[in-house]
Order: sequence, then C-alpha cells, then structure tokens
Amino acid sequence: MAAIETDGLTKFYGAERGIEDIAIAVEPGEVFGFLGPNGAGKTTTIRTLLDLLHPSGGSARIFGLDSHRDSVAIRARLGNLPGDFGYGKRSSAREALALLSRLRGVGDLGRAEELARRFRADLERPLGQLSRGNRQKVGLILALFHRPELLILDEPTSGLDPLMQEEFLALVREESERGCAVFLSSHELDEVERVCDRVGIIREGRLIAVERIDDLLSKTAERRRVEVEFAEPADLDQVRAIPGVVRAEFAHPTLEEVFLTYYQGEEGKEG
Amino acid sequence: MTALVTAQLHERRRSLLSWGLPIGAWSAFVVAIYPSVEDALSKAVASYPESLKQAFGIAELTSVEQYLNAEMLSLIVPLAVGYLAVRSVASGLSGAAESGRLDVLLSAPVSRRRLVASGFLATAVELAAVLVVSVLVTALGGLLAGAGLSFGRALAGYANVWPLALLFAGFGIVATGWSLRTSVVTGSVAGVLVAMYVADLVGRLDPSLDWIRYGSVFRYYGKAIEDGIDPASFIGVTAVAIAFAALGALLFERRDISG
Repeated sequence: MAAIETDGLTKFYGAERGIEDIAIAVEPGEVFGFLGPNGAGKTTTIRTLLDLLHPSGGSARIFGLDSHRDSVAIRARLGNLPGDFGYGKRSSAREALALLSRLRGVGDLGRAEELARRFRADLERPLGQLSRGNRQKVGLILALFHRPELLILDEPTSGLDPLMQEEFLALVREESERGCAVFLSSHELDEVERVCDRVGIIREGRLIAVERIDDLLSKTAERRRVEVEFAEPADLDQVRAIPGVVRAEFAHPTLEEVFLTYYQGEEGKEG
Repeated sequence: MTALVTAQLHERRRSLLSWGLPIGAWSAFVVAIYPSVEDALSKAVASYPESLKQAFGIAELTSVEQYLNAEMLSLIVPLAVGYLAVRSVASGLSGAAESGRLDVLLSAPVSRRRLVASGFLATAVELAAVLVVSVLVTALGGLLAGAGLSFGRALAGYANVWPLALLFAGFGIVATGWSLRTSVVTGSVAGVLVAMYVADLVGRLDPSLDWIRYGSVFRYYGKAIEDGIDPASFIGVTAVAIAFAALGALLFERRDISG
C-alpha cells in the first residue's frame, strides 16, 4: 500500500489556482522530492495532504486512509516539518516535546534526546531566543521523535548550516532504510539529487514530471560531460589532446566542500 | 484534552499576576476608601437624576458592596475580564496560527474540535482563577481597611462576571472560524463587547429603547453583589457561551488553515 496516493488533487483559493490535478504515489521507504520554485504549489500540496487545507477536487489517501475523513488517524503515523517552523517565542523545545509526546502517547523521549545530541539542538532555551537554523533543528526533532512511518518535510534544510544539512541528509537515508516514506519539498536541487529516489516537478500548480533521479539526469545531461579526478596535479594540455575533447578545465572545489574539510573529524572529538 | 488544557494553563499562568492582581488591587483600593467617602457619596448620589442612577445601577450608595458594584462590577471588571476572554481564545487559535504552533499541533493526532474545546476550557479555568484572585485581593483590602465588605457577596459579584466573559470567549471562537488574524478576532469581538454595554446603557437611559437591551448580555448580568446570583441568568448565559463555542468549533473545522 502506498504511503501517499493522490488522484486529481486540486485546490483553488477562490478563482486563483493553488494546485490542479496532482497525481503522485509515494511508496514506503521511498524518498520523494517535490521540486519547484516558490509559489509553484509545493506547500499547498503538503497542507492539503495534512488536511490543513480542504481540497477543491480530487482525493488524497495516506496509508490507504482518506486524508480528510481519517486525518487524526493518519497524523498519528506521520511526522511533519512545516515550511516556516514556529511554536511561539516563550516556549522551549522541551515544553513543546512534553506536550507533543503526551498527544502522541509517546512515553520514552530517548529518540528526541538522541536527535538533539545529533543536531546539537538546545531544548531548554525559549524558541524566541534561538536562531532560525536552531529553531529548524527543533522542528526536525518534533517531526521525528516518535519514529513516524511517513515524514513530510517542507524546505527542511532552510537555515541549517552545511554540517547540519549533511547530518540531515544522513538521517533521511536512515529513516528511508527503516521503511519510512519521506516526502521532501525543496528548491535545493543538490540535496534532492543526493537523497531522493524520485522527484516530482511542479510548475504553476501543475505536476509536469515525475521521474527517477537517474532517469531525469540522464535525459538532460546527454552524457557529454565527464568528471575525472587525478591523484596529482594534472596537465590540462594532455587532457585536451584526447580525441573528441572540446573543452577541459580545472574544477574548483565548492565553498561547501572547503568548509566541510575544516570540520571533518570534529564531530568525533565533540561526541 | 487534559494535556492541551494543562499546557495552555501553564502558558497563561501570568494572567493571575497581570490581570487578577491589578483588578483585585483596584477593587481593594475602592473598598478601602469607602469608609472615608461614604457620607459625601450618599449626598452626591441623592442629587443625581433618577434616570442616571437607574442607568448605572446606583439607586443608592449606602453600603460598600453597592459602592464596589458601581465603581468596578458594573463596568470595569466585566469589560476587562470579557476582553481577557477574547484575548485568551484568540491567542490559543489565531495566535497559534500566526506563530506556526497550530501547524505543529495539527500535525499530531488531535482533531480541530478537541483543540477548540481545550482552548475554551482553558479560558474558562483561567477566567475563574483571575476572578478568584481579584476577589481575594479585594477582600483582603476590605479587611485591612475595616470596610466591612461581605466576602460572600463580593464572591457572588465577581463570580457573576464569569458567564458573561465566557460568552465573549464563545464569540471569539466563532470569529476564528472567520479569520485567523488575532487583531481581527480581538478587535471585532471587543467591539461587540463595548457595543453590548452601550446598548444596555442606552436601553436603561431611555425606556422607549428598552427593547435594545434584549440583544445585550448585560441585560442578564444584574447586580449579584447586592441581589445574589440569578441562577437562570448564570446558567442561561453559560449555556449560550457553550453553544457559540460549539458553533465556532464547527466553523473552525471547516475552514482552511493557510500557512
């Protein structure tokens, strides 16, 4: 049974189209990336799945249950990170966890503590005193602490530094390996490419493509570019001399790669 | 439900200090000065026009209870606690929507009806606690000043504010079915609160306009500190408040919650 299955899912705000005729299926253990620019309809789709918005047409089923009629039963089995996570300024993550664990009937907060250590999240300070990235960590913990069967994540890495983004991607892979379906909305193409099995691309409220990542990349790249790494500094002229090569140039490391080299091994020391 | 109510009460615990204490302190001051102004007041009131005395419920001011009713319980306390009621339900729903908390709570297995019911219940308890603190501080002031305030009658006067304030909490929930902006909810319902008070006042000032008072909850408010609580009004207004909260819950359930 699919974790998420929508059929012709449509949402209009008055005369304005939010999403129209969205048909997707996400299987257990699959990481599904939902790609599109701001305003394309990613958040509207997610909010409709969560029954925060009522669809104008079509249907959404989660674990085979109707997303509206069976919403409470569905939410017992999913974790959600809203796009712009907030929980009020005065409350601490610990207070939010205490309430959510009671609502979810989760007595053991060991997983939450483990995630807090992993993300270096502060559970004690009022959320209003935390930076956006640190609030986002709390949001991730609240979405994950009860080991959900489905994770719905709206722009999950926004505000996270590169180290925490890496940690997040590793966590998504682990969740997927234990069978959790992940529906991840993003416009960070790099993170989607690294972690997702399939992607759906939405434009102006309509789903224009659903493809496996490999298929999507092979379609567009046309197999004309090759990246080669040498053990020692290379002579570009030798490479250019290879028959068929029209261009060869050094690839500079990205700032993110340089940043990560400075922190390699740091986690082991701190842990 | 208990978890939601407890969490909301924990967050609103400051209300006891920020609302209960000031209302109580002001009332205590009114009670404390009564012995020193008693004679002057009686003479002043005797010279007031009859219609004015009727309108403000001050036929005579010959006891500290009557004075407390005229100064605090006929206007300031019901308006203040009524506003607190609206503010509390608004912060639990529209305020939660604005802060993002509503998204988090509605990601958990909680129905919208339960969420609304918990907000209404927490507000009911909060209002009761604020009124209890107010009356305790008032009684303490009366005791220290030797004003001879009857605690039982004062308790009845303050308890009588509870259903009235709760009605505005019910209106507040209906308003959240219409808008999830806190300023819109509190502004519109506070407007209704003031309009109802003015309608009642106008109806009492001009007997030909008495019919207007039927649209105001203040018509059923009375002077419990002098006459005791009218059970029919107390239960009736409470029931109407619950009915409006239930209507609000239905509207809230049907509305979209946009991010």
